[in-house]
Amino acid sequence: MVVLISIILLAPLTAFAVYALLGLANKGNPRQDVLSTFAMLAAFICSILLFWQIDPKPVPLTIDWISLGSITFSMGFYLDSVTVIMLIVVTLVSSLVHIFSMGYMHGDPRYPRFFAFLSLFSFSMLFLVVSDNLLGIYIGWELVGLCSYLLIGFWFEKDSAANACKKAFLTTRVGDVGMFVGMMMLFTKFKTLSLYDGANAGIFTLVEGLSGTGDMLWLSVAGILIFCGAVGKSAQVPLHTWLPDAMEGPTPVSALIHAATMVAAGVYLTARMFPILTTSSSLVIAYVGGITAIVAATIAIVRFDIKRVLAYSTVSQLGFMMLAIGAGSYVAGLFHLTTHAFFKALLFLGSGSVIHAFHAMHTHHDEEHTDDANHEHDDHSLVHEHGSEIPPDQDMRNMGGLRRKMPFTFITMLIATLSISGVPFIFSGFWSKDKILGGVLERAMEWNSIHHYILFVIALIAAGITAFYMFRLIFMTFFGEPKNQEMHEMAHESPWVMTVPLLVLAFLSFPVVNHLWFNKDFVKPPMQHHIHAPEHAQVLPDSKTHNTEFSLAFLGVSEANAAEGEENGHDSAHGADGHHGHSPAHTIAMILSIIVAGFGILLSWLFYHKRRLSAEAVSTTFRPVYNLFWNKYYFDEFYDGVLVALTVWKSRLYAQFDGSVVDGIVNGVGTVTRDVFAAFTGFFDNSVVDGIVNRIAEVTWTIGGRIRRIQTGAIQTYLFVVIGGIVLIILIFRVL
Amino acid sequence: MTLQHYLVISAILFSLGIFAVLTRRNAISILMGIELILNSCNLNFVAFSRFVTPPENIDGQIIAIFGIVLAAAEAAVFLAIILAIYREFGSIRPDEVDTLKG
Amino acid sequence: MEITLKTLIFYGFALMTIGSAFAVVTVRNIVHAAFALMVTLFGVAGLYVFLQADFLAATQVIVYVGGILVLILFGVMMTSGRLQMRIHIERGQLILGGGITLALLMLLLTVIANTPKWKNLSDDGTVFVPTTSRIGKLILNEAFLLPFEIASVLLLVALIGAALISRKEIRD
Repeated sequence: MVVLISIILLAPLTAFAVYALLGLANKGNPRQDVLSTFAMLAAFICSILLFWQIDPKPVPLTIDWISLGSITFSMGFYLDSVTVIMLIVVTLVSSLVHIFSMGYMHGDPRYPRFFAFLSLFSFSMLFLVVSDNLLGIYIGWELVGLCSYLLIGFWFEKDSAANACKKAFLTTRVGDVGMFVGMMMLFTKFKTLSLYDGANAGIFTLVEGLSGTGDMLWLSVAGILIFCGAVGKSAQVPLHTWLPDAMEGPTPVSALIHAATMVAAGVYLTARMFPILTTSSSLVIAYVGGITAIVAATIAIVRFDIKRVLAYSTVSQLGFMMLAIGAGSYVAGLFHLTTHAFFKALLFLGSGSVIHAFHAMHTHHDEEHTDDANHEHDDHSLVHEHGSEIPPDQDMRNMGGLRRKMPFTFITMLIATLSISGVPFIFSGFWSKDKILGGVLERAMEWNSIHHYILFVIALIAAGITAFYMFRLIFMTFFGEPKNQEMHEMAHESPWVMTVPLLVLAFLSFPVVNHLWFNKDFVKPPMQHHIHAPEHAQVLPDSKTHNTEFSLAFLGVSEANAAEGEENGHDSAHGADGHHGHSPAHTIAMILSIIVAGFGILLSWLFYHKRRLSAEAVSTTFRPVYNLFWNKYYFDEFYDGVLVALTVWKSRLYAQFDGSVVDGIVNGVGTVTRDVFAAFTGFFDNSVVDGIVNRIAEVTWTIGGRIRRIQTGAIQTYLFVVIGGIVLIILIFRVL
Repeated sequence: MTLQHYLVISAILFSLGIFAVLTRRNAISILMGIELILNSCNLNFVAFSRFVTPPENIDGQIIAIFGIVLAAAEAAVFLAIILAIYREFGSIRPDEVDTLKG
Repeated sequence: MEITLKTLIFYGFALMTIGSAFAVVTVRNIVHAAFALMVTLFGVAGLYVFLQADFLAATQVIVYVGGILVLILFGVMMTSGRLQMRIHIERGQLILGGGITLALLMLLLTVIANTPKWKNLSDDGTVFVPTTSRIGKLILNEAFLLPFEIASVLLLVALIGAALISRKEIRD
């Protein structure tokens, strides 16, 4: 087990180290792509092996890392079923992205570096996933941030990419500050950053000890602050703006960020910190998630850039996950994280395939018609329609009818779309989304809480919108008549290194591994000790007030485990009691979700395929709303107009203060020093000191000038003196 | 003949040697003056040895022999130096060789 | 002091020595000065004979006249063109040098005349004993062996040094 975890972590790190050590010498290892890919595949295989070995009980592997006084920071790994599932998801998606990139990035001048960064990215995420303490998680967390910076800005020659990577880094940093403060609050209280029991009690055990004692306000604050980190990383409102901009990175990076590494980290962190969440912090998380889900979904409706649609879709789905965790549906949140990882990676890689086809065509086209100014002009007019800056190869208005040209891409992307839209029963997305909706509704009914009813409605609407805009994407891209005939003719299916990952991910978009999440022996949600129903709520008599929701869903598996769940429910008084097989909440949620998804798909079909309804007409009718969506709720404008402007204004003010007051003082002191003290000392120096020195020098010079004449250099002069002197001395002595 | 005869001769030779060393403008003339001085010294040694010490003691003569040896060595080195100076300065006038002039 | 042949010869040698020495320091032609020096050296050798130093007199003639004087003549030949054969003496230097020399001479003579221990020491009636064997024993066997060896080393060093210094050019 230690060996496996070592391989999982060290294989990608080694791949990066090889690049870092050899790369500088000769412009990169020429086979860095193969090395990184095999490292990732090895990590994937080890994850699978680890999966078969894992005990249902968590396995902590901890060593002491740093000792400062009486406090010891440990560094270690904590493996439980959730961790292993995350490991598999991350390594699998990362491996597929590696393979895909071999086709997509082919011919890039920094091809080896790209794979090295991908490896480091994967390593950072894996380290974050397996760390058993907040310090390790924080290290992995920041490494993930760094790698996202490097990869989003991979084509840093483009200004937009350079700005996007800076934006991603700085925006997530805002959340990280909150996370760090939250960590420090926990540390101040508990004197440890370990989450689980090691040599000393971990945070979770200590939190359990606090149950029911005193004021829990600080714990709520700490939980919300740590959640701030997740808000930044997982692109929740209001820090979501970096994620769509991150589309400036290469498309495989987008897939990796959206599916497995960066944004998943936030959700995973929130899930990890589940035991310390209190009622109020949970509610905050749920609301943030819900608002994010609906805001991002509505923005996605009006995008034309295929990657931006997917980006906002990711933000929306992440909102779902946060909503689920906030509403206590720990399993549902993580379940959606994994299913989403697969179909969102698939969507991104599929869009990458489309872009690649167009892009290859585009460059080809340019080569063919270099001197044909008209064609270039046509392209540009398309690009600049609506005043946006959508690259022509990513603009859905240029696409259409591609299903015949790119059958693999079309079919796999259709599967992913069906999955994310929540088309019932045979797609994994349906189950996970339904589980979230059911979980929220169940909590609402259980606590009779108005908040959770509101959240349920929000989630339901967001789910419907999701279905709508995803089918809009499919219809605009693959159906209908080609909008740009010339570009259409040049489009082609991608090479096998790009289609094979698509097929693998399409397979995983079916509910093939779902039963893992319903196996109660395998996935044990942690307990929440500070969750209480709101005081005004009418608590249902038979419900246990501070319970994690853990429902078994449908399918055959759930039936089998239901009875077992009933039994287990008794010995865990606070914990995940697995009552209810078919709770009424889930049935209602399922029916409603199918209805809204169907409604969304129908509308999309009417708008974009049959053209019975005109999107333009609707957008004209509801101009203010359309503008709101089109301008992304003015978040960027708000940040530019308020925060950035405020910062610039503040900087100007400081600069002015600096220029007038500080410089004035400094210059004044300088002037006084120069004109008064320096003048006086200069005078003293020039007249007295220099005078003395010069007089001494002059006297010495004069005397020397006189005396030197004695030194004639002629021997006989000396002899005269010597002999004359001797005579004189003898005479004197004789006389005396 | 008394000791004083020899001492007077020696004194005159010595003075003439000093005179030559002081006044001659030719390095070789100066060397000649030095030879005169050395001869006067040797003469003194031998005279004192003859008159002051017991007759069988001839240490003064030995010293005179060493003096002659010294004079020979000195003359050889002196002339070698004169040759070198002549090559360097093109002259052996001591007042023209004044590189050390202050 | 009665005048005997011996006395006359002594004074003759004394005059020869002093006179030729005077010629050495006054004659303008340097070659003449060199020959005058030779005469002086012969005179001193004669005086050595009067002082019963036979070996020393022979050495004086051989070394000085045969060695040093020839060396000096070679020096004259190698350094002096015809023009430089003549020695000129500056007047002021001459007067100053003469003054100092006279003062020195007066001083010496005064000392000689006024030192009581040196008065009336005569060598009359002493028997001449040849000195060569005694000098040989003293130098090679007795008290002066070490100085003798040192003197020989000195001569060797002077020889090599003179050869080195007077060499034309030393390049590497």
